[in-house]
Amino acid sequence: MTNDPELEQLFQDPAHREVVDLLKLSRPAAPPLDPNFRTYLRTKLMTEARRTLEPRAARRGFPFNLSPKALAPAMAAVAAGFLVVLGIQIYLQNQSTSSTVAADLRGIQNKTNVATAEPIVIPFSGPIDKNAIAETVVIEPATSVTKQWVGQNLVIIPDHPLAPNTTYTVSLKPRAVPPTPNPANPTSTPRPEPAPSPVVVHFTTVKAPVAPVTPPSYLSANLSFGLESRLADAGTVFNGAWTPNGQLLVTRPAGQPGPGSSPSPSATATASGAAAPATTDIWLMSTPSAPIRLVVPGGSFPAAAPSGGVFAAWQVTSSNKANLGIWDLQGNSQGTIATLESVPDRAPVWIGSDRIAYINQGHLVIVDVHGGHVNGRAIRMQRGSLAGSSVSSLLAVESVDGSIVMDLASGSLSSLPAGATGFAWSPKDDLAFVVPQPSGSYLYVATGGKTAQRIATSPSGQTWSDLNWAPDGASLMLAGKPVGASSSASRLMLINADGRGLRDFGFQQEYSSPQWASRGDLVLFTRQDEAGGRAFWTASTAPSESDAAQKQAMAEVDRFMQARLQGNSTAARDSLDAAGLSAYQGGASSLLSPAGSKYDRYYPVTVQLTGSNPNKFLVGVRIFVSRSGVQRSFFEEQLTLILNDQRYLVDAVTSTPAVALGHGPTVLSVEIVPADPGSQVRVRFDADLRPETVTTDTIQVRGVDGRPITTRIAFDADYHLATLALSLRPGTYQLVVTTGVTDINGVAMADEYHASLVISR
Amino acid sequence: MPDFEERELVERAKEDPDAFGALYDRYFPQIYRFAYSRVRDQSLAEDVTSEVFFKALRNIKRYTYSGHPFSSWLYQITLNAIADHYRGQHGEVELEEGASLPSGAPNVDDEVVRRDRSRRVWSAIDQLPRHQRAAMVLKFGEDKKIEEIAQIMGKSAGAVKLLLHRAVERLRRELPPEFEAGLT
Repeated sequence: MTNDPELEQLFQDPAHREVVDLLKLSRPAAPPLDPNFRTYLRTKLMTEARRTLEPRAARRGFPFNLSPKALAPAMAAVAAGFLVVLGIQIYLQNQSTSSTVAADLRGIQNKTNVATAEPIVIPFSGPIDKNAIAETVVIEPATSVTKQWVGQNLVIIPDHPLAPNTTYTVSLKPRAVPPTPNPANPTSTPRPEPAPSPVVVHFTTVKAPVAPVTPPSYLSANLSFGLESRLADAGTVFNGAWTPNGQLLVTRPAGQPGPGSSPSPSATATASGAAAPATTDIWLMSTPSAPIRLVVPGGSFPAAAPSGGVFAAWQVTSSNKANLGIWDLQGNSQGTIATLESVPDRAPVWIGSDRIAYINQGHLVIVDVHGGHVNGRAIRMQRGSLAGSSVSSLLAVESVDGSIVMDLASGSLSSLPAGATGFAWSPKDDLAFVVPQPSGSYLYVATGGKTAQRIATSPSGQTWSDLNWAPDGASLMLAGKPVGASSSASRLMLINADGRGLRDFGFQQEYSSPQWASRGDLVLFTRQDEAGGRAFWTASTAPSESDAAQKQAMAEVDRFMQARLQGNSTAARDSLDAAGLSAYQGGASSLLSPAGSKYDRYYPVTVQLTGSNPNKFLVGVRIFVSRSGVQRSFFEEQLTLILNDQRYLVDAVTSTPAVALGHGPTVLSVEIVPADPGSQVRVRFDADLRPETVTTDTIQVRGVDGRPITTRIAFDADYHLATLALSLRPGTYQLVVTTGVTDINGVAMADEYHASLVISR
Repeated sequence: MPDFEERELVERAKEDPDAFGALYDRYFPQIYRFAYSRVRDQSLAEDVTSEVFFKALRNIKRYTYSGHPFSSWLYQITLNAIADHYRGQHGEVELEEGASLPSGAPNVDDEVVRRDRSRRVWSAIDQLPRHQRAAMVLKFGEDKKIEEIAQIMGKSAGAVKLLLHRAVERLRRELPPEFEAGLT
């Protein structure tokens, strides 16, 4: 470094000058650099730059701008089921009008890792007949959708989250605006329009976490902080709440852009209903950050019901009063249950799925979903804590006169320790709360809302707040900060339900207000941003190293499967022990794809620990087979992996017959979850189903003798999820899903589905 | 590159991928070096560098010349990306193995001694509070003017001077006496 006048001027003390001189003579060592990285990153950047930077005029001159004649073979290929090549624009000319309709598929065609709640956006150019195009949309597997036009963008919004691990096909027929009659010859008849060629879009949704059938299972006590991502900038989301199926209901400033629109408020997609004269709206969002739809114009403070697919919220009326209403996740009003003089500053509170509590003019009000008053007691409340159990009729109230638990079924009241606040109910109906102390906090848990016990004390000088239970009820997340400090000093911590194992969740200050998603995979929280505002973030959770055995086995499965997808027989055999190799050579399954086909992709369906010392895993994998570049079918293998000299190897395999894709719904995953009492078998499908076809006759668990086991069945249409409640002893069972199950279009499953269920303990 | 040429290149890069590529070629080394100096991990430095250039690409149409070099904007994005990363991960930079404060120079030839001192003084910089560290790396590692550092860090020039002053004072106090004695 040459003489720097700035340094000369800044450092005149000789002692400082010595250090500065040393620094001027020193340079940090050249960092290690992978020579390929620079080139690799440049290539990626340039690809993206060409996609995003080139002006529209240049794009029109795209070399694949196909004339109808040139397009014909390509469209024939599409009709034959070939994939449209990624990155081309398809131009379809309506010969009767000479107008050109272009569907730009580059953003979606063959896209992978598409979020399950992400709207599908197809931009068009040219004079299009929007209604005609929207009517032609068909999506496979069968999925009910809402279609909106935002400018020239067709936005297809799934009514429920899409299935993970699934390749979807959307087809539609672009159509130009019908020709206008010739004014010079009004009697002339336009020539008949040729049948338009369909646009076919394929995309694949994100991989789902492998659902373990038996332990090791999801245990919040073993979780740690994964990755975090910003849900929205400060000031663009005011509050948020999870829905039971992992979407978010958020309050946003009015006029925010919707899916597929430009940032201009004028392009905002609007739901039905006139916008209220208010400054906030309620939106349904997917994670990480995609707005799905505006559900309540003028709404604020949404609270999702524990079940039933509805939420309660406040909505400003034209006379500046506040309606307490219930809406479904499409934004359809289910009714108004109360009207207040002004909008409260907190969300209404659900008690179970059929009662709601709120505060009006300093008093607690409890109503049913039709607005009928449930509780006649006069309980005074100001800013105290209020929380309802999701599974019972218990309500914890921090009233002006003390903290209590109300049982709305029996009408009984029970007192909580003085100062109890910060209530949180677990899915097991345990109530957690804190009692502030001069130098910290006491943490209590009241099992079943009764008999509160102090389970932990915060470290001296630290206060605890923002309690939130993990979905398995095994641990609590909370925010801790020094006594008297601002929320910017807050950090998130986990503690076991018994008060042990206090540890950090994340490593930064500034975090507060955690909310677990119902599946336990994400936590919503707020964080102070660089500008001092508070922004909403989500953090993923990561399993602990205690699940290392499963991880190791699954890593071996992935190595094995990747080798097979690449057609590398040698590498695939490396993952087999002698018995496994013999099984494949004996025809138990085909190690590589047969001639004329290709193993296109796979995903693990289940992983079951079926033995220990050494560990033995049974892993179900679903393998998709393509021909001529199109996925046609799938089959499943059950791989048995045994630990052999510190490495898992495939020791045995069985396989199922191939199931054709595109011929009705298919089973996506099978999961056994311990329940109290007994177990639940959760069967998830890839398509929206006719609920009346999901019965104990069409979905059965059979014992070794082939007889069905008595079960009760519940069906969540939003999540394509059938849940069987039953009692299973250790042993092997068979899940059978018959062809009586049909999708919303009435198409039955192509074949019966069978899966082994091994209960080891 | 003269200032006006850089400005013209940046303007072209708003619509011309090749111009953006030229900016990448020009600034990759210093952004990667700066990222590495802050995170001390090759893989992470690659992630940060990648994020910086993709963010720059996504936002370049909104970039407006403010009297500071284009690189200031890239450094700003880098600092934010690193801050974001540490918010989500470990809170503080992990030091390279053995990067404790210097405890005396080995008795070897001058060049080796000089390199060793250089490594140690930069290791000591690694242990400074993050704002001081960023200011020191930009000043002594990247030869930036104080005004530009202020722009990058979103602080006043006076605040940057204070950071540099405190950092040098802390180094002076914490470097062992024999280390400084070796300078003379």
